[in-house]
Amino acid sequence: MNQEAILSEEFEISGGDFVNGGRASCLIKNILKEIGIDAEILRRVAIAAYEAEMNVVMYARRGIMKLVLTPKRIIIKVEDEGPGIHDIELAMQPGYSTATPEMREMGFGAGMGLPNIKKNSDKFNIESTVGKGTNLEIIINLNNKNV
Amino acid sequence: MSESIIYHSIKVNDQKCIGCVVCMKACPTKAIRIKERKARVNAERCIDCGECYRVCPYDAVTPLTTKTSDINLFKIKVALPSPVLYSQFGGEIMPDEILNALQEIGFDYVYDEALICEMASVAIEEYLERNKSPRPIISSTCPVVVRLIQRLFPSLVSLIIRMEPPREIAAKNLRKEISKEKQIPEDEIGIFHITPCPAKMVSINRPETMEKSNLDGAISIREIYNQIMQKLRKRERKFLLQTQSQISGIGIGWAISGGEIRGIKQDASVSVSGVYDTIKILNEVESGKIKNIEYLECLICPDGCIGGPLTVENRFLAKTHILKLIRKFGERNRIDINYVKQLYEKNFFSFERDIQPKPFSPLDMDKSEAIKKLRKKERILKNLPGINCGVCGAPDCESFAEDLVRGEQNLTIGKCVFLGE
Ligand SMILES: Nc1ncnc2c1ncn2[C@@H]1O[C@H](COP(=O)(O)OP(=O)(O)O)[C@@H](O)[C@H]1O
Ligand code: SF4
Ligand SMILES: [Mg+2]
Repeated sequence: MNQEAILSEEFEISGGDFVNGGRASCLIKNILKEIGIDAEILRRVAIAAYEAEMNVVMYARRGIMKLVLTPKRIIIKVEDEGPGIHDIELAMQPGYSTATPEMREMGFGAGMGLPNIKKNSDKFNIESTVGKGTNLEIIINLNNKNV
Repeated sequence: MSESIIYHSIKVNDQKCIGCVVCMKACPTKAIRIKERKARVNAERCIDCGECYRVCPYDAVTPLTTKTSDINLFKIKVALPSPVLYSQFGGEIMPDEILNALQEIGFDYVYDEALICEMASVAIEEYLERNKSPRPIISSTCPVVVRLIQRLFPSLVSLIIRMEPPREIAAKNLRKEISKEKQIPEDEIGIFHITPCPAKMVSINRPETMEKSNLDGAISIREIYNQIMQKLRKRERKFLLQTQSQISGIGIGWAISGGEIRGIKQDASVSVSGVYDTIKILNEVESGKIKNIEYLECLICPDGCIGGPLTVENRFLAKTHILKLIRKFGERNRIDINYVKQLYEKNFFSFERDIQPKPFSPLDMDKSEAIKKLRKKERILKNLPGINCGVCGAPDCESFAEDLVRGEQNLTIGKCVFLGE
């Protein structure tokens, strides 16, 4: 686990900013394309990072998204300052959402974000403190071709 | 990947090219550089969209479409015009007159592609119903979009519908039928697409999804235009084509953006046209931002194929003509849906082989080296003036920095007019 990072980058995410929401994950995607990450892995990273970013935009005040690349894996960490999640198990249920009607109008709030992040990661950790914030760690292994 | 073996449908004429920056600036994939006062196209980055051809002020970009005289290499000559052709001669001339004119030019058979477009619409619906694969399914009609996905969005290749576009389906069918009817070998029949689109030459000469294309060439609408005009002027109306009663309004609609999805009953389908909007939506699909869409039609040209680089008529007028024809020929189905379903069952529409991702080369094959180069590129970029003038021969400062870290031959930072001597 304590492998040396060969790349690490940080991006800020502002809560409530739907105009720029999705930017951080897009920048991460472009970096990974430039260094030639395999297409299938790239897609998993792109989806997981986008969902995590949009959760910060939708529910939290602010957050940062970190990209760490080691020779064997891609790690995305998202740490936010926000309301936190009362019941993580419930939040992880497909279809569970507290999105407002307005967010639903915009096509968010299907309650599939967290389940999709989990589905696309090889390892997924979520920790949350109510009233403080939520931390996600998404790990996606690179296959042998990429080492 | 050796550049010389990547086939392209356009060529820069060095006699005419003076090395201005117009095409380089217009290229959506930043494939063009100016070297020694000539435009040079990077074969790996070029997707054959034709933007350079559209914008060149010196007429120095040549599309490599089939010469009309080449049809004589075949015993039986068949024309398969894109429905776009019907929009090119004003709003009064009807498709059958245009098909007639083609016959007078020297084609033994002239076949209306629109009918097959309508069949394809039914087949797409069938595909959507049967395949529960991830959404959205993306159209395979525009060869430039297919190449764009292979290059820029390799992870989306598996979303492309595994079905040949109408031109290939039509040609396949025709070759069989004519060969049987005339009792001649299939290879003595030459089938030519009459096309608004140079990229068709790539899908014909280097097909991605089959051994050999069913088409033998693609003739530019611009090239054959005057000949058709002459025949139309003579108005030797023969009314010998049975196709008039068969022309499909649904099929003609494929000439414009939204035509492909008009023919299918899925509400959750979306049409996009133009290169930048296509790149934008594919980016959103890649992030999983686009949800609840079943089918995505993307056409690289503005407003769809009527905005193709090899058209003659103003595309806004052309669009009006197409809409008029759609009204005239109706939204009524001209084809037997059960017959299409039978064909579908026999894999008549299917790809022979899957499309492969072909991503752009990374900064370096080795990840750690690539990251070092990425850093170096960022450092160089910080030192460049950032005004993107193009005088260095690259379309913008970022591309210049990238060329430097990729180790382009004879390229130094001194090429920047602001940092140079
Ligand atoms: N970063 C976060 N901060 C606070 N609550 C969150 C956060 N991420 C997710 N949640 C909660 O978990 C629920 C489920 O999230 P998710 O699966 O992404 O679905 P959706 O975003 O569509 O509601 C959200 O509705 C919200 O209540
Ligand atoms: S939109 Fe039509 S004319 Fe334009 S490149 Fe695509 S297929 Fe060719
Ligand atoms: Mg969510």
